[in-house]
Amino acid sequence: MLITGQLSEFSLPELFQFLEQGQKTGLLTLNSLQKETKQHYIWFRQGRIVAASDRHDETGLLALIQKRGWINSFPSISSEQLKTTPLGLYFKANNFLQADQLKLLFYTQVMQQVCALFKLPDAEFTFDSNAVIPSLELTGLSSLGAEVTLAGLRALQDWSALQNKLPEIHSALTSRSEGKPTLHLNQAEWNVWEYTDGHVSLKAIAEQLQISIEKIQQIAFRLIVVDLVEELPMMVMSSNSNSSFNSLDLDPIEETQTTNRTNSGLSTAFLENLMSFLQGKT
Amino acid sequence: MEIMRLVITGPVGAGKSTFIRSVSEIEVVDTDRQATDETKLLKPKTTVAFDFGRLQFSPNMALHLYGTPGQSRFDFMWDILICKAHAYMVLIPANRPSEFRYARRIINFMEQRAKIPMIIGLTHTDCPGAWFPENMAIALGYPNEKNRPPIITVNATKTGSVAQAVIVLVKQLMLECLV
Repeated sequence: MLITGQLSEFSLPELFQFLEQGQKTGLLTLNSLQKETKQHYIWFRQGRIVAASDRHDETGLLALIQKRGWINSFPSISSEQLKTTPLGLYFKANNFLQADQLKLLFYTQVMQQVCALFKLPDAEFTFDSNAVIPSLELTGLSSLGAEVTLAGLRALQDWSALQNKLPEIHSALTSRSEGKPTLHLNQAEWNVWEYTDGHVSLKAIAEQLQISIEKIQQIAFRLIVVDLVEELPMMVMSSNSNSSFNSLDLDPIEETQTTNRTNSGLSTAFLENLMSFLQGKT
Repeated sequence: MEIMRLVITGPVGAGKSTFIRSVSEIEVVDTDRQATDETKLLKPKTTVAFDFGRLQFSPNMALHLYGTPGQSRFDFMWDILICKAHAYMVLIPANRPSEFRYARRIINFMEQRAKIPMIIGLTHTDCPGAWFPENMAIALGYPNEKNRPPIITVNATKTGSVAQAVIVLVKQLMLECLV
């Protein structure tokens, strides 16, 4: 199955949110639409990011190891050995690499490479759930898409590509989870998190925290795309709309004598008659 | 006269006005006006108040359909309409993932204001680039099949498909306990 699109329509943070929530496995390919076309590859397993590269020849991780000079000569490894063991774990098990080195490799391979992709103004994306995950690119470590998203968006300077995705200033935030989040939030994000009761608009949060509304919108967007909160539009009632609301009577309801009613107030006879009528139209 | 009020909501271009037109027995009151903002890139006209359609299926029974405007600047209309509704349907175009986040916003708004039956209708599922329903459910914030409202495919231009969608909503209403 392929999912295709453009980041200008479905942004990278939303894409990561979707892949994580859907526990997707496969390859996300980004084809940047800048002057020099460049492709980026991110592999997912059960919604977690397991590898990333800017090449598709299964030599990305080896190139990173080589660059650091951690292994003088690479041992020959049979494909049988790699069928069940990621390359990183194979090296660790055979004492070619230490655990700390693996973590550093993963940080360079995934966090640094992928976080940089949040700066892309636009790109075509393809997610292929049938793609095989190459063991040669795997350190054996993985990261939640949410963690990478938070890091990438925190570092983002130019938010113009995400402007139309930001929550509105008159919206409030409601928490999606019970209890405190387990993700590592920074202080600003924690401060906004304290206002997720659904009653305080982003504009009011900005005033109370004395932070610009643009920054609050960006922080709120981060919390939304890592599934911690939802945006809840709040109406800004003007005096005009208030009087319109009070005077608007959509249609008067005549009370019927029917005794059998659903919780909606509609009679079961009504619903049954409507059902029969509609079935005649299908 | 017993009347059921059904609100049809969703992002701009989802097919709300078309949906109501397909099933209404009266000429739908047209409140479309020329679009002036980014909506005009999508279509020349857009709903600025609300669409109204009616289906009278019995001497004393009628279904009233209210289509909300898609643009958020008219959200005061959403509030007016949803507070008096018996049920609502959120139409979402499957071929425009740029609208999924906005659709979530509408759903959050409506859910907070009215605890009434709701279904999600996916439109334009036959258009290029349309997402599969399962993936749309995840993108709309419903990864767990057990915690989803009914999500169906709708062709807003076909009376049969529209009627089938309303049937699903009526079934939701019937599932409520009798008082």
